[in-house]
Amino acid sequence: MAVAVLLVQLAIALAPGSAADIVANSEELRDGLTEHWGLDDPFLTRYFRFISELTQGNLGESLTYRAGEPVLSLVARSAPSTMFLVFAALIASISSTFCLAWLTAGKKSISRTMLRTVSVMPVFLAAYLAMVVADSWAFHNTLEVGIQPPEWFPLLLNDSSVKITIAVIVLGLGSSAGSEIHSNIETSIIEIRSSGYIDAARARGARLWPHTLRNIAAPLAALTASRVPYFLGGVIVVEKVLHLNGVGSMLWEACRMRDFPLALGITVLSAAVVCAARLFADLTRVLIDPRLRGTN
Amino acid sequence: MWLMSLLSSYDVASDVNVAIISQPPSPEHLLGTDKLGRDVALRMLHATQAFVGPGILAALVALMIGLSTGAIAGWYGGHVASGLRLMTTSLASIPRFVLLLLASSIYGRDLTTLGIAAGIAYSPTLSEAVYARIVTFRDSGFVLAAKAHGLSSLRILTYHILWSNCKELIWRNILALFGFFLLIETTLSCIGGFGVQEPDPSWGNMIGIGDLQIGANTGNPLATWAPVLAIWLVLTAVAAARGTSVEANR
Repeated sequence: MAVAVLLVQLAIALAPGSAADIVANSEELRDGLTEHWGLDDPFLTRYFRFISELTQGNLGESLTYRAGEPVLSLVARSAPSTMFLVFAALIASISSTFCLAWLTAGKKSISRTMLRTVSVMPVFLAAYLAMVVADSWAFHNTLEVGIQPPEWFPLLLNDSSVKITIAVIVLGLGSSAGSEIHSNIETSIIEIRSSGYIDAARARGARLWPHTLRNIAAPLAALTASRVPYFLGGVIVVEKVLHLNGVGSMLWEACRMRDFPLALGITVLSAAVVCAARLFADLTRVLIDPRLRGTN
Repeated sequence: MWLMSLLSSYDVASDVNVAIISQPPSPEHLLGTDKLGRDVALRMLHATQAFVGPGILAALVALMIGLSTGAIAGWYGGHVASGLRLMTTSLASIPRFVLLLLASSIYGRDLTTLGIAAGIAYSPTLSEAVYARIVTFRDSGFVLAAKAHGLSSLRILTYHILWSNCKELIWRNILALFGFFLLIETTLSCIGGFGVQEPDPSWGNMIGIGDLQIGANTGNPLATWAPVLAIWLVLTAVAAARGTSVEANR
């Protein structure tokens, strides 16, 4: 029990830690704000006001993106689609690379090199190229009857399932996410397969995969949590390139319009998501691994 | 030298020549010309300035912050370590890309700012890696021997631990940071609004997603595909270099 409580406390301790980052951010933000809106409160006053408002669940109001609208309601409206993208990409990339790693761990395999070569493609390029391909594919039939496709991307205009599928795949594998996750999973599979309890299981003729799967769950949960910040960053790019509505493109526009309350609010919320993911990973580890539950 | 003089004599703004729009490769223009009649090969070369210098700056900043915090936390342990690590983990809980967007929105979109911000955003990763490595070494035999010889802790830390045992680790992280900076710079310049903007060339804005015109470069597809290939090649090379140094370390 002792270890479990310690782990949870450590994970919760990260949350005020990310609030301390708001100090740094709002200190920087303040220069811009005083310049633009003539706000001249001392820095600490502003900081403590922000924190006290934050504890009451109030993130302030948007200044330029949608003037006067509360940040929280703006984010709440477009958060579901963004979180869907992030979670779908997490599940897709972890499960597909896990299946591949299960087959290739400890072997020489061409698929490893192939995965590395493909997934090194930056997210924005991969999304763009996938869009070009999907677009020419969609207009394949119209070309046959002699109708030229328009010069912009017609697929960009609607929130089609094609676009969302592209977004999920690109986000899950692009910017070397695919090869990094794959090599991480491979390392832990090799570690587990060379351990004593697998030898023991083999010696008594038991099936090996239940033992391997149960032991890989904890590192897998930690890996998933560690990828969350990368995917939260990548979703901004994906939404921007594919013209999807969501928190990511909202953050980009907020930054461009120097709408700092909105940008800061989204930053705080994304840090909260990252902390929640870490907490979840720690709890999963305790749930799966009885050794972490302590002795008393 | 020839390359330097070629680059310094090239004027990014006045190269526009409407008479030779979107021409395929020729001896005068090795990679052809783009939709404004500018030489693609020269712009490709010129665009390396957008990430090489700032990438090195980012590496220096990350080394300064990440190495010092990681080494101090690992060496002294205790309250110092928990304080420093609380700082780095809380910085790491904000996605890097979000940090960079905020930084370029607040301090302007010049590349020096982006380089420094990328260095700061990457430093938690480096700090964490160095910390984990030093903790395993702190109580090892060779450190005890060095202490017994009366060496100062600064010398043990910098030479015996960081230089002799963490070189590979640091080098791998620097390579990763360089790839990360190229990625960030091209992403920002490509989507538009941040990063390098026209007429200054960057491999990102040469692809030209911003105007959403696939047909814009139809006369010379190389104007779009050359920067795409260049980005992919450099990132593959960086990943391969990291991979080989991982294998050398095992």
